[in-house]
Amino acid sequence: MKGKSTNRAGKISIGKILTYIFAFFWAFMTIFPVVITFLSSFKNNVEINTGMFSLPKVWRFSNYIDAWKLAHIGRAVGNSLFLSFATTVLVTVIGISASYILARKNFSVVKKIYTLFLVGVMVPIHCTIIPVSALAGNIQAKNEYWFLVLVYTAFNLAQAIFLYTGFIQGIDKEMDEAAFMDGCGEIHLLYKIIFPLCKPIIFTEAIFVFTFCYGELVYSLTLLSEESKYTMARAVLSFTGNHTVEYGPIFASIIVAVFPMLLLYILFHEKIQAGMMAGAVKG
Amino acid sequence: MPKRKKEITISVLLLLPAVIIFAMLIIYPVCNTVWLSFFKWKGIAGQPKEFVGIANYLKVLTGNSFWNSMLNSLYFMIGGFGILMPLSFGLALIVTSNVRCRRFLKTSYFMPVILSTTAVALIWVYILNPSFGALNQFLDIVGLSNGKKDWLSTPTLNVWCVVLVNEWMYAGYNMLIFVAGLIAIPDSIFDAAKIDGCGFWYRVRYIILPLSKGSFKIFAVLCITGCLKVFDLIWAMTKGGPNNVSSTPAIMLYTEAFTYKNFGKSSTIGVILLMTGIVLSLGVNRCLRYKED
Repeated sequence: MKGKSTNRAGKISIGKILTYIFAFFWAFMTIFPVVITFLSSFKNNVEINTGMFSLPKVWRFSNYIDAWKLAHIGRAVGNSLFLSFATTVLVTVIGISASYILARKNFSVVKKIYTLFLVGVMVPIHCTIIPVSALAGNIQAKNEYWFLVLVYTAFNLAQAIFLYTGFIQGIDKEMDEAAFMDGCGEIHLLYKIIFPLCKPIIFTEAIFVFTFCYGELVYSLTLLSEESKYTMARAVLSFTGNHTVEYGPIFASIIVAVFPMLLLYILFHEKIQAGMMAGAVKG
Repeated sequence: MPKRKKEITISVLLLLPAVIIFAMLIIYPVCNTVWLSFFKWKGIAGQPKEFVGIANYLKVLTGNSFWNSMLNSLYFMIGGFGILMPLSFGLALIVTSNVRCRRFLKTSYFMPVILSTTAVALIWVYILNPSFGALNQFLDIVGLSNGKKDWLSTPTLNVWCVVLVNEWMYAGYNMLIFVAGLIAIPDSIFDAAKIDGCGFWYRVRYIILPLSKGSFKIFAVLCITGCLKVFDLIWAMTKGGPNNVSSTPAIMLYTEAFTYKNFGKSSTIGVILLMTGIVLSLGVNRCLRYKED
């Protein structure tokens, strides 16, 4: 209810009109490019050339079939979803386990390891491509998803540990002691008590990890060369780079590529926004 | 002390996976990059690496292309502070005010972040396409055909196109940073201001801006470190071309390594990028802390 221009009972001020115009203008600006892409995905070249803004005269679903067959966009989206899912699970499990120790134990090594992870947050992903791709070459891990998942995990681990450790430190230690009194082991405590309590922060980090992995480009460029293993970003890029004669299928492939994330967003937009907000402020 | 021994065992077991992954894929590669930056290496396994001292650093720092790519990063920073910051702050003010359809507005503002960079880049590549792109068609419709351009092939103009796409994509995300700050301001302050008859601008100037300092600090750190790392958008929109005019340090690092096979030189760029990032983010943190005192 804040930051709004004070105008006396129902009187419409110019400021208010301008605010509305700008508010809806920007909403239009964010949605319209996606709408244009969607409309173009049903057109043929002639229609695209003559008018990107008009509705397609015939809804050519065949463009989607072409995108599916020529760009293998369905497979690529599946690959990306799999990678994102695997990475998210791995980051969560490994991250929470480590954070529990980092937050609760007082060994001197523990503090040093925590500092190391904090410094790791600052490493840009590109600084490590050469050694990592050389490593992948040496252990025959190019085109292997398990390696890509490990690389993605490594890059998200530092931030995850930073967020989780902060969160677990905020959980009352008496909880642990009560659990130990009841004869609860540490593993049990971690997975039955700490883990459920951390749900909000896990969700926040999971959104970051999932969106990062779904669109990741640099490592899928360097580590993947087999076409059947291409991720979404890789497949769409190589399809558009092919100078295909028909543009319709290209637009269709873009729409298929954004569809899963758009669907997730439409279903969970409140939670995603809240989670991103929490993460952005802490990170 | 069997209990303590057990505690240590469990600690090691739980920490180990994270430490191994981190050591193998972050710490070792960073150290290796630093080491490689002093060598000349064509990336062929087994071929000897030739030690060249700081020659790579001299070559990179005296070359035009590196400074050009840094200049492009600077454009991203200028765009970030000059366009993205006011835009996201304005959007944050809108969605926290009592305009109608707040939720619809907020949801649509934030949507682009979710789409992933490559898809966003390609959506805009076709909007900016010189022969059939929506932007040029729009200029035709409103009678500004003279303004038609080959947006992504004209030097410098294309960098700014990517900068604007970057702002388009992240405006909603940064809006959330400011929203988090705005909703933390207690209502009582606004009520008091209302009683005193404060207008909208007074409230922004004397209440909202001073109390949003924390949000601006977060924005500054994210923006500065983010600008050095731009890769995906440029790669998908211009590939750094034509003739590297639109490349950023990250693009240059990639092409030096995987197009020209200069792995030593590429590592040098990596080290410079890492150092600049750390220095800048520590610097920004320190500057803003002094201001707060």
